[in-house]
Order: sequence, then C-alpha cells, then structure tokens
Amino acid sequence: MAEFAESSTRKIVFYTAIGIVFFVFLARLIQLQVLYADVYGKKSEENSIRQIARTPIRGLMFDLNGTLIVDNGPAYSITITPAEFRMSGLTLLSNILRTDTQIIKEKFEKGIRYNRFTPTKIKRDIDFKTLSLIEENKDRLPGVDYQIESKRFYPTKSKATHLYGYTKEISDQQLLEMGNEYRPGDNIGATGLEAAYERYLRGQKGFELITVNALGQIMGDYNEGKNNIPVREGSDLFLSLDAKLQALAESLLSDKRGAVVALDPNNGGLLALVSKPDYDLTTFGTVTPLDAWKELNTDESKPLFNRATLTRYPPGSTFKMVLAAAALEEGVINQNWRVNCTGAFRFGNKVFSDLHIHGSTNVVEAIQKSCNVFFYQLMLKTGFERWTRYGREFGFGNPTGLDILEENPGLLPSEEYYDRIYGKGKWTQGYLISLGIGQGEVGVSPLQMAGYAAAIANRGYYHTPHAVLRIRDKESGKLQIVPTETRKLDISPWVWDVLQEGMYRCVNEIGGTGQASKVKSVSVCGKTGTAQNPHGKKDHAWFIGFAPRENPKIAICVLIENVGFGGAFAAPIAGLCIEQYIYGKLIRNVQQNVLTAAQSDQAQTQQREH
Amino acid sequence: MDIWYKENIDLKTIAPVTLLLLLGIASVYSATYDAGASIFFNRQLIWAGSGFFLMIVIMLLPFRTLQFLSYPFYGISILLLIVVLFGGKMVAGSRSWFGIGGFGLQPSEIVKVTTVLALASYLSRGQVNLQRFKHLATALGFVLFPVALITLQPDIGTAIIYLGMLFIVLFWAGASNFLMITLLAPAAAAIATLFGTTAFFIVVILTLVVLFVLRENRLFSATIFSFTVLVGVSVQFIFDKLAPHQQNRITTFLNPDADPLGAGYNVIQSKIAIGSGGFFGKGFLQGSQTQLNFLPAQWTDFIYCVPAEEFGFIGAFAILLFLTLFLIRGVQIASIVKNRYASLVAIGIVATFATHTVINIGMSMGMMPVIGVPLPFLSYGGSNLMTNMIMAGLLLNMYANRKEY
Repeated sequence: MAEFAESSTRKIVFYTAIGIVFFVFLARLIQLQVLYADVYGKKSEENSIRQIARTPIRGLMFDLNGTLIVDNGPAYSITITPAEFRMSGLTLLSNILRTDTQIIKEKFEKGIRYNRFTPTKIKRDIDFKTLSLIEENKDRLPGVDYQIESKRFYPTKSKATHLYGYTKEISDQQLLEMGNEYRPGDNIGATGLEAAYERYLRGQKGFELITVNALGQIMGDYNEGKNNIPVREGSDLFLSLDAKLQALAESLLSDKRGAVVALDPNNGGLLALVSKPDYDLTTFGTVTPLDAWKELNTDESKPLFNRATLTRYPPGSTFKMVLAAAALEEGVINQNWRVNCTGAFRFGNKVFSDLHIHGSTNVVEAIQKSCNVFFYQLMLKTGFERWTRYGREFGFGNPTGLDILEENPGLLPSEEYYDRIYGKGKWTQGYLISLGIGQGEVGVSPLQMAGYAAAIANRGYYHTPHAVLRIRDKESGKLQIVPTETRKLDISPWVWDVLQEGMYRCVNEIGGTGQASKVKSVSVCGKTGTAQNPHGKKDHAWFIGFAPRENPKIAICVLIENVGFGGAFAAPIAGLCIEQYIYGKLIRNVQQNVLTAAQSDQAQTQQREH
Repeated sequence: MDIWYKENIDLKTIAPVTLLLLLGIASVYSATYDAGASIFFNRQLIWAGSGFFLMIVIMLLPFRTLQFLSYPFYGISILLLIVVLFGGKMVAGSRSWFGIGGFGLQPSEIVKVTTVLALASYLSRGQVNLQRFKHLATALGFVLFPVALITLQPDIGTAIIYLGMLFIVLFWAGASNFLMITLLAPAAAAIATLFGTTAFFIVVILTLVVLFVLRENRLFSATIFSFTVLVGVSVQFIFDKLAPHQQNRITTFLNPDADPLGAGYNVIQSKIAIGSGGFFGKGFLQGSQTQLNFLPAQWTDFIYCVPAEEFGFIGAFAILLFLTLFLIRGVQIASIVKNRYASLVAIGIVATFATHTVINIGMSMGMMPVIGVPLPFLSYGGSNLMTNMIMAGLLLNMYANRKEY
C-alpha cells in the first residue's frame, strides 16, 4: 500500500475542503438569518399579504331607442376550498356536477398548490337545478360552495350574433401580451363589438389587499384598506341599431343563407346587421364548451362566418351605378346617350348575353330594367381606369372601417391588378365587359354595398359605417360620442339625379326589376343584382336600395345565397325592412304571405334581370 | 457483548444520522402538513424506520462477501437503469422511475451505491495503475456509463453527483496531481466560460501556474493547456450559436436572480424562508413560507428551508453541523481502515454525501445553480432515503471491519 503513505496529506486536503465549505455555509447562514433577518422577515410578511381581485360588471348595450339589448345575468360556479373539502364527498360531487372525479381531483390538487384556504372553481356556469342539488347536499359536501359570476344574456328578439360577438376565457398567449390587466380565468371579448369595445366594456379590475395569518386565513384589510384599488364598472354602449328592424331582418332570413345590412344614410349609423345562419350567443355566456365550438366550426353552413362583412361575392347588376356615375361625371356620355339593345353583345369572337331585348335604351332605363348590353358598351367607352377610380370612391376594395374588427376588403380589379395577375399585355378589353355588369373578379361585401347605397341616397357623402354612437361611463354618467368620418364624393348633383331616377323607376315603374321592394306611400329607390356563382349552385341574389327618395332615412343591402334572382328573393326582404323602419312596424297584413306571394309573382311573370 | 458493542458499533456515525433523520421527518411533517399528518409524512416515517433497520443489517453483513458481490450488484443495477429508460414512468419530464404498487423505485439512486462499490473494487486491485491509460479508462468507464444512461433520462443533477464522486475517489485512490488537473481543468474552463471572460482567464492562468509547478512532461502539459483553452473557446462559440431563449435558460441556471418568476422564483422564496427564520425561527408549523406553500414541492429539494424557517439559525446550523460531523467521520473511517477496498468505499460514500450536501444547501441559500438533488437524510423520497441508509450502513460495516486486511 505504497500510496497510503501519502494518505495523511490527502486526509488533510479532505478536512480542509470540508472545513472551508462548512465555514462558507455558516457565514451565509449568519448573513441570511442574523444580519439580514429583518429584511427577509419583512419580505416574508409581504408574502402573507394577499391580493383579491374584484371583477367589474361588463358594460351593457342599448339600441337606437334606448332598449336594453345586451344584458348581464348571474352565472353560478361551483368552488371547493381544499382545506375543508373531504375526499369522501368526491363521488357525490362528481355525480351532481356530471364531471369526472379525475377532473375534480386535478383542480383540487391545483388549488392546494395555490392556497388551500382559497376557493377554487371546479365548474363554471352550472344550471339552477345543479345548484339546488349542491345546496340540498351541503352537509355531505364540506368545503363545496358556489360563486356568482356574470354572464351575457340578450333580452330582445334581436340576437345580432355577429354584431354583438362573444367573450371567452383569455388564452395563455393573450395573457402574455396583455400584461397585468388580465388574470387567468378572466373573460375577454373575442368577436364583434365585445372584442372591438373590449377596453370600454371591460371596466377596470379592483384589488383589495388583505392580510392572511400563517395558516392563510384572512385576518382583515391590509393598512385599513388604504391601498385598495376600487373596481370601475364597464362602460355602456349606445348603438345606432334598431332592435325591431334587426329582429325582423333576422326572422326574414331565418331559413336562408345570407346577410342584411342597413345604414342610416345621414350619419353611417348601423341600423341592422344580420348574417345567417347564426348561432346562439348564450352558448358562449361564460366558457365556451368545446363540443359546441367544434360543432359550429365544422358546420358546413358556416354559422361562425360573418357574411355581412366577410363575404366576397361579385355584386352583379347592383354595381351598374358605379359605371353610370363614372361615365356621366367624366362626360363620356350624357343622359340622352342611347344604345340599341338586341339582347346580345358581340365583342371579338365572344358573345355577351342579355336576358331581354330592351331596344333603344338610355342610362335611366338601363338602370331601371338592368340592361346589360347598355353597360357592356358603356364599359368599353368609359375605360378601366375610370371604373376602378369611381369604384374606389364608393368604398370598394377597402375595408369600410366599421367598428367591428372582422371585415374583408373585397377586391376591386384595376389595370395594375390585371397586369400582375395575367401579365402585361396578356389581358384584353374583353375582360372588362363582365366587370361592367358587376361580374368576374370584382368582390364585395353586403356592408360595402350598404355604404355605397347610402352614398347614393345622400347624394355624395360616404359616412364610415359604425355601430356605436355613444359610450357612457358608469361612474361619471358622462356620454362620450364616438367620432365618425365622412368623405365627400366628387360627383355633380345632376349625376345623382340620374342615378336616383333610374333606381326609383326600378322599384316603382313597369319594367323595373325591383318592384317587389315597393312600400306603400314610400318612395323606395333600389337596384337588383344576381351574382353568377362559378361553383355551379344557384346564383346569389342581391338588392340595394334606400328610402324615402326625398329625405333618405335608411339605406339597405340584402344578399341571399344560392336562390336565384335578386328581384325575386332579395328585393321583397328589403321592402319589408324599409317598411318596418319607416313606419316603426309592418303595415301589410301577414308578413309571411306577402313575402311568398311576392316571390311567386316574380317567378311567374319571368321578371328576369341581372 | 459490551465489548463487541464498543468495538464494532460506531456511535459517531449513528448519532448524526439519527439526528438528521429525526429533523428530516419533522421537516417533511411540517412541509406537507394539511390539517394533520399527510401521506408524505406517513410514507417517510415508514421509510425512515425500515431504512434504519436496513442500515443495521448492512452493518452486520460479512465484509468479504460484500466485496465479492460488488460487480454483480453493479451489473444488476445498471440493467435496471437501462430498463427504466424504456419501461419507466415519466415524472416531471424524466424517465427515471419504476412504479411498483403505490411506490416508486428510482434505479439511479441505487446505482449510486453499486457504482461506488464497483469502482472501489476495481481500484483496490493490486495491479491497477492509474498512470496507465487502459486502467484509467476502465475506472472512468465504471462511472461514465451510468452517467450516460442517467443523462438520457434526463436527470442532470444526479449525473453531476456521479462526476463529483468519481473525481474525489480518483484523488483518494492516488491519482497524480497531473492526472487531476488533466480531468479538472477542461471542465472548469467550460463552466467558467459561461460565467464570463474574466472567470475563463482566471481558470486558464491557474491551469498554467499549476502545470508549471508540477513540471511534468512539457508536451503533455502543452497539450492539456491547449485542450483547456480550446474547450473554453468552443463553449463560448456554441453558446453564441444558441437561440436567445436557450442562452437565457443557461444564464438563469447560473444566476437565478435574472429570472425572478421562473427558476429564480424558487431561490428568492427559499432565501426569504431561510432569512425570515431569524435566529430562533418562527416555531414548528408556524413558518408562513412553508405553510403557505410558497415553494413548490419543498418537501423534496428545498427541504432545508423548512427547518431553517421554523427553527431558525439554531435548526439550520444544527443540520449543517451534523452533516459536517458525519462527513468528517466518514473521512476518518476511510483513513483508519486497513483494507484498500474498504477505504475507497468509505471515501466514495463520503464523496456522494458531500456533493449532495454542497449542491443542495448551496442552492437553497442562493449560492449555487438550481440543480435538483435531495439533501441527505432530510428530503422526502423512498429510493433516496433507502440509498442513504444503505450507504450509512456500509460506512458502519467498514468501521466494524476496520482491522481486516
């Protein structure tokens, strides 16, 4: 054992090393526990101060007439306080809540890790029957209690699913982005106005600082409550929506796919916004049930899709006023310029058809009867650049700026666009001809169409559509007016006269394609459209219009998918909506009969148009 | 009987072990207190009781048989380590557990003992000379093989313990200073680089000085020095290539204060617990940090905070003192035994306990990176406590057979 001779030096190395570590640790212990004991003692006291968040009540929504349309109601959540809960009650609790014992156990264990004296939510938004069962069995369920939270409900028939939107529990990602304003489990606006006005509706969280003893039990207010932050309730929204009009429009579209958007031409206020099919917002009252979400998300009729603002269909003949305005204002033609419609238009080796032989037609008659041949020729005469420029003036190709966040800008083709898509010189004038009657690449949303109708109605003012007029602060009661934007279109008064005359005749005179939208003693102006559907199904029916002509109060767009002609399917719905809004009620007899009669009448007389 | 008892039972080992066990049980009771004794406490109590019994049994085993069985034990335990990689339970991101009934078995704990036994057995063979590459490589292989398997789980903390043990045992076994610097310098350079350029240069200069003092073969010295510098530079190079979040992870590992909500949170809460305990402590079951669960799973890796908060400096110092006395006694046993195998086993055990202690208490007091290793005799955990008791039993066994050649 030669090396062992050295072992005494090695031994000394070991003792020295152990000694050094011992004294270093001892010094650190003295530093922490003797020298800085006060500092750490204070920190540990601060640790025993708990912050309790008080969630504000979310702001309400009122319609144009002050009717409450989005309200809050109580939602009950079952909680368990881990320190008091006994596992013997687990099976009973699981049966009452119809929740797996494993899930309850997991939440219980999570609760223990957080604080076993703080109630932990184990199921949110239970029904009243379940709550009663919990109350009845209270003796057998120690530590089980309930908390009241608020959830949305909608007291009127106006459900406006895609406008109101819903709130959902904040995601981890959002929590990271939002910083301190939210806590896990908080709800945040996800779609529609709930999302767009989140910062007003939400209010501001209150915080109460309380002291807890070493066992985590609450001892009282910290510093006599001087450091508490009081809760600020959410602000209320006053909408320009007319709940009755909205409800009627929803009922008229109940078995259809489509959208209705109505605007006040005087200020751009949104009077109605319907997208069908829709879904029940109360499903999303507190937490989104996963299965319900999946069902909606995979539904082939896309109920989650906001057809009023996200649709991008060709507008069909409803777009003809854009071309007419461009041609008249730019002096390409005057109102007496005439085209002889022979029912078809030949360009190169291609034939563009019309459904009728309209004979000699001027611009007013062309709008009234929706003559395609007139507009084919007018498009070639006016040119692409002007058409695009006026389309942009009317708000196409850009989002309108409506105060909900989901909007499709649509597509307004231009020379540059075609150069990019097809290559310079690789497209011909023939491509334009379809655009002249609103077919082809051009894509618009019902919201854009309503804005366009409103600008014609008020003779040249494009008001940015908006749903919310005023915001009321709950604390001060002060009303804040939501600022709006208005843009003046550079088009002469006589041009508006021509367009309005054509649209008036379209509804009110023999040969007009929009007669189904006629309303008793109201001068309705309108234009029908039928968007060709390249997917083989039936065409999409469009109608845009406004009323009354002299003093416009409502501008409207109706889109019904896959039904056929705009004059037969969209116009009658627009007529009923206008009647409802102007008279405050329907003055016709039974609405359903009127509607179906109008449709069959149209179909029988073969009143066809584009 | 009286004489046998005096001759063969080492009270200087049993006393600190017993005191530490009792403090550990009390700490686990407090850390998991939930309106009464918890399931953790009950289990720990059973393990401590049966562990104590196991320690006595190991003490009484025939010494020669133990030496004879070192390799078979090692083989079987390594087999378990391989099997656990495929059939083990995933716990907290590591595949290191077997579930048996309600209990879990962690082979990497048992392998700590068997590796010490096998390494001691190999190094105690007369013809083994650490100056010969083949013998050195074999010795390293005994430890590096399980280290590789444990790194795959992955359980870096436990792997570090093995490396610390290897280094200390080689030193005790008579590795030359030159060999020690060969093993130590590159590792030190790698770690120092992560702490900064200054630390790296200090290590480089120290290496140079030591090599100069040792006056070994110049070519070897130059090679080792170049290798040390190369390791440092490549670590820096690799670090620079890492994504920012990966760099962050390393930075907070070395300096937990940089991340007060993540890894740093535990260290901050741990320091608050220890510091706020003050001199006399807040009293049993009265520690607000402990009772309000500011530290996740403080009954395992952060157990030291519990007695430090509730029994104050007195409690924290007592644990430090008992552990130190236990380690010193271990070195004494390693020195007085006549048998080389026994001496190496004893020093291997001391090394294992010492690395656990330094890393764990250093981490709890914010002086070390957060590496998850248990504190001997105190942390909750069956496999670890049983392994500790077996190792204490082996020390007692070596002491009882100290006169055997």
